[in-house]
Amino acid sequence: MTLNLRIWRQKDSHAEGAIESYELPGVSSDMSFLEMLDILNEQLIGKGEEPVSFDHDCREGVCGSCGAMVNGQVHGPDTETTLCQLHMRRFKDGDTLQVEPWRSAAFPVLKDLVVDRSSFDRIQQAGGYVSVATGSPPDANSVPIPKDDAEAAFDYAECIGCGGCVAACPNGAAMLFTAAKVAHLKKLPQGQPERERRVLSMVDTMDKEGFGACTNHYECTAACPKGVPIDAIATMNREYLRATFFSKEGV
Amino acid sequence: MLSWIERFVSSSVGRKALMALTGLMLIGFLIAHLAGNLSLFAGDGGTAFDAYAHAISSLPILPIAEVALALLFLGHIYLAVKTTRENRRARPQGYSVTGTHGEKSFASKTMFPTGVVILAFLIKHLWDFRLQKEAFEEAPYASVQQALSDPLTASVYMLGILALGIHLSHAFGSALQSLGANHPKYTPALRAIGKVLAVALTLGFISIPIYFWLGGSSS
Repeated sequence: MTLNLRIWRQKDSHAEGAIESYELPGVSSDMSFLEMLDILNEQLIGKGEEPVSFDHDCREGVCGSCGAMVNGQVHGPDTETTLCQLHMRRFKDGDTLQVEPWRSAAFPVLKDLVVDRSSFDRIQQAGGYVSVATGSPPDANSVPIPKDDAEAAFDYAECIGCGGCVAACPNGAAMLFTAAKVAHLKKLPQGQPERERRVLSMVDTMDKEGFGACTNHYECTAACPKGVPIDAIATMNREYLRATFFSKEGV
Repeated sequence: MLSWIERFVSSSVGRKALMALTGLMLIGFLIAHLAGNLSLFAGDGGTAFDAYAHAISSLPILPIAEVALALLFLGHIYLAVKTTRENRRARPQGYSVTGTHGEKSFASKTMFPTGVVILAFLIKHLWDFRLQKEAFEEAPYASVQQALSDPLTASVYMLGILALGIHLSHAFGSALQSLGANHPKYTPALRAIGKVLAVALTLGFISIPIYFWLGGSSS
């Protein structure tokens, strides 16, 4: 099939970007979206032009590196799918695809479709971990965890940090990402000692990084390639209220 | 001292919780307001409504209640303006094509604009029945009848109430989520109740300008 690609091109973080059009013939329906971009880049390199930069790593839908808006939809039209797992069979001959990077003040565009997501790292570093004594690993099952809790924690832990929630949110909020970490660790006994400090510190960092506030569109969870449930955000809100009013944190 | 309160009210989560709380209280006010206003439909030439209006205006606690209500409105509006500004700042550059995965709704996307329309309506409404207090208190039912038999005023009221209905259809479920109230047993029912409440309040309020526009009990 032949596709009309309209792709955001931006030289570097200081340059003004613009949408550029490319006609790409010979696209196989078996290609993934990233393979399609690879073909485009080979053609561009052949013509001596600058290839389109995009993030990618595992190409198996588990690493969270890739991601772009395709016709205004995070990771394209499919649900619970990363960009690398989006296949061209989803489109038909002659389709026009508008491809843009995530848009957020906290995700500055570095080049073309590549954005700087280190703000997520800083939210994570603010409390998205458990402090444990190092040494040999503890015995398996030495801390009993009910199966339901383990599974709920895993639903939240599935977050791969791709940033799609921020891109999908009309407010550019990082609530689903932050909430996934808070809700995940809240479900587990290992997360309890730092429970209050974690939520306060992670929300503080999230705000300082310039992300917006949730207005409950729930677009994030619909766009999430891992389907992180929206109750994570309610859990984070509850944890935040609890830590603010019923703990000694911040006295 | 009290830095934790400052931290709370300046955080995105804290502000949203306060917005939810003020919003829920305002919904409570709307329910009470509608319940009282339904006495307009008593069909007794306004006796019931006049009695209700006089009972309210002679309440000794009324000035305090009015201040509290004004603070609720002002707090809710202040938080909305601040949150909306910060949310716009969080996405300085938008998308050239906007799509969806199907969750955001017309109501959720227009909370701020519908809020502005409601505020404009509220100012008009206060002007009609609160700032011209003497005229209203002299003959409550007659002044409602006089104001709303004017097609222009009735249209403005209906527009304001429709905006309120759209605003409310997102408000209740959203407020509960912002306060962290989400439970698989209750949330689906509560969200449905929120929608029913929005429809009921809209129909209840909008029936008033329609009733008087069509002539009220005098016809």
